[in-house]
Amino acid sequence: MAKIYEDLSLLIKRARLTLIVFGLVLFLILVFYWKIQILDHQKYWKMAEANHLRALPLPAPRGLIYDRQKIILADNQPSFKVSLLRESIKNDSQAIERVSQLLNLRTEELKARIDRYRWFQTYEPVIIKDNLKLEEVAMIEARKEEFPELQLQVEPRRYYPFGTAAAHVLGYLQEVSPEEIKNNPHRKWRGGEMIGKAAVEKQYDDYLTGQDGQLIETVDSLGRSLGEVNRTEPIKGQDLMLSIDLDLQQKAEELLQGKEGAIIVLEAESGECLAWISSPSYDPNRFITRFSPEEWLSIINDAARPLENRVIRGQYSPGSIFKVVTALTALETGLITERTAFFCPGSINLYGKEFACWFKPGHGLLSLPEAIKNSCNVYFYQLGRRLNVDTIARYARALGLGQMTGVDIPGEKEGLVPSSDWKKKTRGEVWYPGETISVSIGQGPVLVTPLQVAALTACLANRGIKVKPRVTRLDDKIRPVQEKSGLKPENLEKIIEGMWRSVNDGGTGHGAYQPGFDICGKTGSTQVISREKAEKMIQRGEEPTKTHSWFSGFAPRYQPQVVVTVLVEFGGMGGQTAAPIAGEIFKLYREKYVRQANL
Amino acid sequence: MLDRRIFKEIDWTTILLMVLIAVIGIIFVHSAIYYQASKYVWKQSVWLVVSSLALLILLIIDYKVLLSFALPFYILMNIILAGLLIFGKTVANTRSWLVFGPFQFQPSELTKLAVILLLARLFSDYKEDKMSFKAFFLSSAIVGLPFLLIALQPDLGTALTLVPILLGTYILAGLPKKYLVVILIISCLFGFIGWNYGLKDYQKKRIETLLVPDRDPRGAGYQLQQSRIALGSGGLTGKGYHKGTQSQLRFLPARHNDFILAVIGEDLGFLGILGVFLIYFIFLYRLFSAVQVSPDRGGVYIAFLSAMLIGCQFMINVMMIIGLFPITGIPIPFLSYGGSSLLTNFLIVGLVINVKMRRFAYVRL
Repeated sequence: MAKIYEDLSLLIKRARLTLIVFGLVLFLILVFYWKIQILDHQKYWKMAEANHLRALPLPAPRGLIYDRQKIILADNQPSFKVSLLRESIKNDSQAIERVSQLLNLRTEELKARIDRYRWFQTYEPVIIKDNLKLEEVAMIEARKEEFPELQLQVEPRRYYPFGTAAAHVLGYLQEVSPEEIKNNPHRKWRGGEMIGKAAVEKQYDDYLTGQDGQLIETVDSLGRSLGEVNRTEPIKGQDLMLSIDLDLQQKAEELLQGKEGAIIVLEAESGECLAWISSPSYDPNRFITRFSPEEWLSIINDAARPLENRVIRGQYSPGSIFKVVTALTALETGLITERTAFFCPGSINLYGKEFACWFKPGHGLLSLPEAIKNSCNVYFYQLGRRLNVDTIARYARALGLGQMTGVDIPGEKEGLVPSSDWKKKTRGEVWYPGETISVSIGQGPVLVTPLQVAALTACLANRGIKVKPRVTRLDDKIRPVQEKSGLKPENLEKIIEGMWRSVNDGGTGHGAYQPGFDICGKTGSTQVISREKAEKMIQRGEEPTKTHSWFSGFAPRYQPQVVVTVLVEFGGMGGQTAAPIAGEIFKLYREKYVRQANL
Repeated sequence: MLDRRIFKEIDWTTILLMVLIAVIGIIFVHSAIYYQASKYVWKQSVWLVVSSLALLILLIIDYKVLLSFALPFYILMNIILAGLLIFGKTVANTRSWLVFGPFQFQPSELTKLAVILLLARLFSDYKEDKMSFKAFFLSSAIVGLPFLLIALQPDLGTALTLVPILLGTYILAGLPKKYLVVILIISCLFGFIGWNYGLKDYQKKRIETLLVPDRDPRGAGYQLQQSRIALGSGGLTGKGYHKGTQSQLRFLPARHNDFILAVIGEDLGFLGILGVFLIYFIFLYRLFSAVQVSPDRGGVYIAFLSAMLIGCQFMINVMMIIGLFPITGIPIPFLSYGGSSLLTNFLIVGLVINVKMRRFAYVRL
C-alpha cells in the first residue's frame, strides 16, 4: 500500500510565519535586555549596592578632660542604646506600635523621635532609647528575630566622676537638635550625636569630638545582618587638660555650699583659672540621655538657676570694688596724689541731696590708702564730684570692665560701664552730675561679672598688665595672652597699698587675713537701695537690685601668684561674708602651692 | 503492534535540549535559594526524573490513540477543576492544588494537555482553508471553559497560558478577518467586566504597575524594580554563580520560579541571558519544524499548539520580568521551579516528539 499524505502545505506556511514572528519578537526583547544590562548597568549596579549594603556609624569616644593634676573630670563609659532602622519598617504605623510596646515608649513619643531624624539619610538608625538597663538589653537581644528593625549598640557615654564638681567649667552634652543640623549643613553629624552644649564641652567640641568609624554590613531584604563587609575603627577625640585644680575647686565649692554666688581663683600671671565656682551647681551626668525631659525641666525651672554660669553670666553691681577704678582715675588724671585728704563726717550733701557713708560716725580726715582700707564713701564722693563720668568710664574700660574677658568658655556677658553717651542712647536723657557720685562708689547702673572683677584684680596685681583668663592648661608653646593697660605702675602701687591695708591693717577686708601671706584685697557690698527707690523700680516693672557681698584680692603683694574673687548673692557686707571665704581659699592655695614652692 | 522502526525516529536532540534547560533551571534554583535551607533542588530533580519517565511512556502510545481519548480526558479534567473549586485546599490564596504527600499537583497544568489534544482532534478532519464560524465557536468554547474554571481558582496566570493555544488554533485554522472584529469586541467586553468585577485589587495594581513601575518601589512595583536591578547590576558577564546579591539576599521575590531568569541574568549577565535565549530559540525551532514532518492534520495541530504554548509562556515571562508585560505569575517552561508545570511541559513536548517519530504513516500489509 502506498503512504497516504494529506496536503498540509498551507498549515506549514502558517506555522513557519509564526516561527519567524517569534524569532523577531524575541530579538526585540533581547534589545530591551541589552538596554537594561549593558547601557543602564552602572545605574542598576549602584542601586544593587545600596540595596544590600548598610553602613552603621561606630561612634567615636570623646576626648577625656583632666584637671591640672591629671585627674579625670570627664570620662567615657560603655552604654547600651537601641536604634530603629527606618528602612526596615518603612512607614508602617503598626510596626511603630509594636516597637513602642516592646520598649515601653509612647507611640507619639516614638513618632516624634523618628521625625527628629528627618534631616538624615533613611539608613541612619534612629536612637530610640539609651542608657539601657541590662534586663532591657537581654530582652531585646532575645527577641532579635522578631524585631529585625531594632538594633542594639554599645556607645561610649560621657561620665563625670565628680558629679557637680566643676560642672560650670566642664559643661554638659545634649543631643544635636534638628535646627543645628539644618543650620550646619557642612558638618557631618551622626544621628543622635551628643554634642557639647555648654562651657568647655561646647567651646572645645571639635577638639574633643573624635572621628566616627563605620561598619558596612551585608543585609537581606528584611534588614537582617548577614555579616560584616568592612569596618573603619573610630578614632577617639583629643584629650584636654584644664587649668582647674580639683582639690581647690571642691573645697571652694564647699565654702559656697548652700549659697548662691561665684568664686574664681586664677593665676595672676598666666590667667589660668584654678577654681571656677558658680553656685548652685548641677550634675551634668543627668543630661547625658536623649530623653527624660522631666529631669531637664526640673533643672531649668529651678528658681536658683543652677545652669546659669554666674562667673561669666551673672551681672552684678560692683559696689565698693569699683572704688579702685575711681581712685585710679583720680590718680591718673592728676586730680589727687596719695597725700590728698578729704574729711568724712559720715555723710555729705551734694547737689542738694544727702549722700551717706556706710560708717555713720564718719572716718574723719583720710588720705587715699586709708580711704581704700576703710572703703570710705565720702572720700570717693569727693572724687566723683570732681570727675567726669566719661573719664571714669575710660579707665574702667582700660581695666577690662564693660567688655568680655575673652575666657575660653562661651556665653560671656559684657557688663555695663555707664557714660553720658550710653545714657543718651538708651534713655534719651543727659547725664546728671549726681549720678557720677553714685558711680564713684560702684552704685548706679554699673554692672560687672565676677570674672571681670577677677581679671581687673589680676591687672592690678600685675601692675597694669592685663591677662586673658582661661580654663585650659597652657603648655610650653602657648604663652599667656597679656596686654598692657597703659596705667602707671606707681599709681597702681598706691591702690595696692590701700588694698593691703584693707586686709592686713584692720580694714574692711580683714576677714581675709591669713598670717604669713601678704594678701591685698578690696571688699564690696552693693548697698541696699533705698525703699522708695525699690518701690519705684517695682512700679516700673523692674526687679530691685540685689544686695551682694564681694571680695576680690591677690597675694602675695609682691610677685603676686594668685587672684581670688568671691561673690555671695545676698551675702550682706563684703567684709563679713565674702572676705572670710576668700581668706580660706588663700589659705588653701598657700598650703598647696606656696609651701611646695618653698621646698 | 509496535513498530520498532519508529523508535529510531525519536528526536533525541529536542529531548536533550529540554533536559538541558531543566538542568540549567535546577542549577539556578540552587543559586536563587543559596542562603536558605530548602528541599527545592532535590524536589525539582525528582520531578525531572519522573517527567522524563512519563515522557518515555507517552511515546509508546501512538498520538492517534491519544487523540481518540481526547474528549473523555478533557471532560475529566474539567470535572476535576470544577471539583477543586468546590472542595480544593487553599494554598497561597488559590484552590488549584491536589496534594499527594510531599508533592502537590496542579490539575490546571495538565488541562493544557487536554485542551491541545481536543483541539487537535477537532481539527484533524477539518480541511477548509479558512475557519468556519462553527469551528471558531467550538474552539473558543473548548478553551473558554477551563479558562473560566482556572481563573476562578483564582489563578489568572495559568488561565492566561491557555490563550496562546486558542491563538495558535486561530492562526493555523485561518481565522477570517471578520471574526477578528468579533474577538476584539468580546475581549473589550470581557476586559471591562473583568476589570470592574473580576480582577482582584492586587491584579489591577500589577497592571497599573506595568505602566508606572517606579511610582511605588516598595509596593506593587517592588518585584519588578528588584528584578530590573538584579538584571541591570549583572551587566555583560554577571556577578558569578551564587554571587548575585539581589537574589541571594531575598530582595527578589519568587526568584526560584517566575524570576529565575533574573537570577541567571544577575549571576551570568547579558551573555547568560543571550545563552538562554539561543538555547530556547533552537528548542522552539525544533518544535515548530515538527509541523513539517507531521504525517497528518492532527499531528500538525499538536505540534503547532504545543510550540505556541511553550513559546508564548517563555515570551511572556521574559517580557514580564523586565516590565513589558504585567506580572501575572507565568513561569518559564522547564527553567522555573515547579513540578506540575515541568511534568506537563515534558508531556506536551512528548506529544510533539510522538508525532515526529511517527512521521512515516505505515500502513500494515
